[in-house]
Amino acid sequence: MPSTTLEPLPTPTASDLAEGTATLESIYGLSGVTKTYGSGATAVCALDSIDLTVSAGEFLAIVGASGSGKTTLLQLLGALDRPTTGRIELLGRDLTSLGERELTRLRRDTIGFVFQQFNLIPTLSAADNVEVAIATRHESSAQRAERVAELLGSVGLAHRAQHLPSQLSGGEQQRVAIARALANRPAVLLADEPTGNLDTASGSEILELLERLVAEGNQTIVLITHEPRIAEAAQRTISLKDGRILSDTQPGPG
Amino acid sequence: MFFFKYILSELRRRRGRTILTALGLAVGVALVVMVNGLSTGLDNAQATVLKPLTGIGTDMSVSRPLKVTTNGKGGFAALSKSQQEQLRSEVGPGGGVNFASLKAGSKVDTDTFRASGNLTFSATKLTSLSKISDVQAVAGSLTLTDTHISGTVPKIKITQSRTSGGRHGGGGGFGPASGALNGGSLTTASTSVTGVDQTQPTLAAVTPSQITKGSYFTSGGNAYEAIVSTGYANSANLSVGSKITLGGKTFDVIGISSAPLGGTASDIYVKLATLQKVSGYTGQIDTAEVEAASASDVTAVAATISKDFTGSSVTTASDLASRVSGSLTDAKSLSSKLGTALEIIALIAAVLIASLLTLASVAKRTREIGTLKAIGWSRWQVVRQICGEALGQGVAGGVIGVLLGVGGIAAIDALGWTLKATVASPAAAAGGGGGGFFGQAAAAITSGTTAVKINATASIELIAIAVGLAILGGLVSGAIGGLRAARLRPAAALRTVE
Repeated sequence: MPSTTLEPLPTPTASDLAEGTATLESIYGLSGVTKTYGSGATAVCALDSIDLTVSAGEFLAIVGASGSGKTTLLQLLGALDRPTTGRIELLGRDLTSLGERELTRLRRDTIGFVFQQFNLIPTLSAADNVEVAIATRHESSAQRAERVAELLGSVGLAHRAQHLPSQLSGGEQQRVAIARALANRPAVLLADEPTGNLDTASGSEILELLERLVAEGNQTIVLITHEPRIAEAAQRTISLKDGRILSDTQPGPG
Repeated sequence: MFFFKYILSELRRRRGRTILTALGLAVGVALVVMVNGLSTGLDNAQATVLKPLTGIGTDMSVSRPLKVTTNGKGGFAALSKSQQEQLRSEVGPGGGVNFASLKAGSKVDTDTFRASGNLTFSATKLTSLSKISDVQAVAGSLTLTDTHISGTVPKIKITQSRTSGGRHGGGGGFGPASGALNGGSLTTASTSVTGVDQTQPTLAAVTPSQITKGSYFTSGGNAYEAIVSTGYANSANLSVGSKITLGGKTFDVIGISSAPLGGTASDIYVKLATLQKVSGYTGQIDTAEVEAASASDVTAVAATISKDFTGSSVTTASDLASRVSGSLTDAKSLSSKLGTALEIIALIAAVLIASLLTLASVAKRTREIGTLKAIGWSRWQVVRQICGEALGQGVAGGVIGVLLGVGGIAAIDALGWTLKATVASPAAAAGGGGGGFFGQAAAAITSGTTAVKINATASIELIAIAVGLAILGGLVSGAIGGLRAARLRPAAALRTVE
């Protein structure tokens, strides 16, 4: 892992929170969130009355077996889907009251996504893949190129900017994906098993990078993981089972 | 611009799909180009057949045919009184041969001009015709039959033959007179002569395009220029540079014209003013060629002329076209009936194929599109991306299609298909009666069969339309695929299997 110094990349809001009343400020506030798929006899309850608060600068890991509801929870946190009942607040705004257009803007400006399969666009270079996230902003191409270079540098891939995803290792691809997720200085970074598709060494690199984002940038991160060592690295771990929170462990500082 | 970069990289790296979609559109476009090109070729072939009928620019010709009345006996007696009167006055003074003046043993060499088939009318009529609304241009022509008598007058009392037959007698007209003369050492020859308005060659009875040897009339210059038909040139042993005598004047043969199928073929063409002077038909014409302002005006103009000009007969180009039959017209009706259907089916199929391929591509890229939406792309931006890609394929399809179509047209031309066209004689009512009455070599519509080579052509307009259709097809398929993509849920980004 190159020892590039990460400049802080939080949103103004998150940054304000970090400097001000800090971790006590809420990024997410969920109350009574239930998600049911299907209806009638075949209805499946993926999430059952979840109450959860995520504070700024928190590094939260969600663990649980397959079908425990962790992916559903991440979709709801990421404004990719709406709860059947209940209320989700992000930075004090009720997501359930927002229209499709506002949710799209919210995803772009406030949330960063990292996927298990990296989800890079295979036909675009690393730099272009990062630019995808800011392509819709009204900035000059020079400004965007500068921002892309800065982001790729921060994940240690400045020298790989013109490579296609297929020419990059899994770890490198995921770092490009993280650069893309950070492009709009999101208030929260959501990651779906970010190391699930990587070997141990690459997984460790990604974990280090995420930890550095929290430590140096006060980046709020919520991730899903199967791996105990990732869960251990997180400050807080929520264990889900059958759509309910089984445990919420918040290790003491340090 | 990022938008273009993304589209181009998608098109470039998913080459197979791009080419397949483009080819689908290309086949449709190529068919449109070929069918239209072929149809234009057939139109041109038909025009080639019809052009000599009247002249390139002529939409209709106006004449005053002799109208045979009820009793069906034919000949002079069947004509109305006013027509008989006019014939008398036309043929009477300068027209008929003054047989009484012929003295036995004396030498004769005389030309007699008579109207052939149609009654003549004053050229001033052209002015009134040109004032009819939507008439673009008018030109007059005069076709006369020249009876040339030469030799030595035999010692036979010709006058008796004349009185017994009657000067304008019904039975044989002037036939018996010349028949009687044949017994002597006199020879008679009949040739048809048409005077054309050389200042309006496109409306003339002989057009520059018919000239096979030599040249067309000069607009000023020598008044005594003549163009002769191939048939007459052969029989009279004439060629460019030969001299012929008409009405005592010597004419230079400056050109040989093909005897076109369906054309009004005269033996000799001279300038109208010259013929009027030489024949004594000063200021007279027997046909007015009329060009309408546009093709859509032809019917209305023809109707107006028929109404205003009593006794006139208006023949339009479409009347002439209806007399053409054969494989050319079969192909023409086939192309107009099937061609359009084929084009529509080909285009629908092409757009359908392009749309299905775009939909398949969207389905395959569900996760990619979901990712774009998850990271904040709006529906519009996703639609724009898919549409942009489809548009690129449409442009490629248009270019390939035009190349295929133009290649196909070149192949058709290289095959050198020929189609046959048969031109029937006009219905033997008015014209036929007139010709029969005089029993002379009148200018007549040439009937028969000709073979026309199909020369398919692709115009710039056609190519532009074809490319436009391909782009439109691309946009339609892009819109269909884009709308599907816009409806995809961003949560699809989290799917683990592609």
